[in-house]
Amino acid sequence: MSSKSQAVQAGQTLWAKMPKANAELFALTYGSLVTELVRDYEDPIEVNAQLDRIGHSIGVRCVDEFLSKADVAGMGSATRCSNLRDTAEVLAKVGFKMFLGTGAEAGGFSQDQRSFSIYLQDNPLSTFVELPQHGDDHQSGGDDLRKLKYSNLYCGVIRGALEQVNLKVECSIVRDTLKGDEVNEIRVELKEVLADGAGDDYKDE
Amino acid sequence: MGFLHLFIVNKSGGLILHRPLGPAAPRIGTNEWLRIGSTFHSLHAIAAEASPVKLPGNKNQSGADDGIEQIEGGGIILKCLQTRTGIKFVITAEPGTPDLDTVLREIYVLYSDCALKDPFYELEMPIRCELFTNSVDNLIERVESGGVKAR
Repeated sequence: MSSKSQAVQAGQTLWAKMPKANAELFALTYGSLVTELVRDYEDPIEVNAQLDRIGHSIGVRCVDEFLSKADVAGMGSATRCSNLRDTAEVLAKVGFKMFLGTGAEAGGFSQDQRSFSIYLQDNPLSTFVELPQHGDDHQSGGDDLRKLKYSNLYCGVIRGALEQVNLKVECSIVRDTLKGDEVNEIRVELKEVLADGAGDDYKDE
Repeated sequence: MGFLHLFIVNKSGGLILHRPLGPAAPRIGTNEWLRIGSTFHSLHAIAAEASPVKLPGNKNQSGADDGIEQIEGGGIILKCLQTRTGIKFVITAEPGTPDLDTVLREIYVLYSDCALKDPFYELEMPIRCELFTNSVDNLIERVESGGVKAR
């Protein structure tokens, strides 16, 4: 069982060991990716789905890096989760910290302990971003961009990463600072725990 | 004291990499390797079932599937690292070779840095990344000459 402070410390140690990239380059690259997608697909719902897919391929690869580096740094025990609450804490405090440098908070646990929220105070992806205002004349789909979930990449990343460790989840962005809310909130819901492994075939023969 | 072979098995039991790590390593054909990989995968799972000590959910203390971790024989040691994502890193070496655990964990890090970050590498497919194989060779060279300090 990882305690919260152990997770925070692990997050900081792992972040210190990661090679750093220029934050502006990162934000601008992502911004150009999103604008290209908007130009290609025109429908913001479709763009959200594409961002989720891109995030998914990132997530399935990120999780091995996370686990291997934590293990080598001696922080393997900080990544051990015995329930969904631990998973949420590790995801927010260690995962987000390690890859993005910003701490996130886990909270909003539901009664049945099957869903939680991740709160991000600063979103490194949306550093320079302003969504076009409602009713912009020269943009034919102008007010539609309100339906765009700019940071939907995170939802895909979380979904992909947890899928590799046998947790099937659904993620969605419920609050977005780009739309005027005070904090970015990602809601994660556990759908099922996948049972894999060859062992299942050999049981109870 | 020498390393013999490295092989990596994916989640479904298919072999995604096999690499001789030293001059003493026996040279076997690729088909043999594929057979060895899948046999090990099944034995790993059966061992957890056959074990007199059964862990809850068949998960060991690091959260990964329980199974064969080490096989020691007359002229060989085989060590396996099972990751939480279902991949097995297996290394064989002559008895007395130090640092096998550390090497396996370093190889896991190399896998996540070189193979996974290659945009053209598909998960669960055979690894064809030169960067990864070169890094593994360099790691083995460093270990054989000087020893790897735990980070």
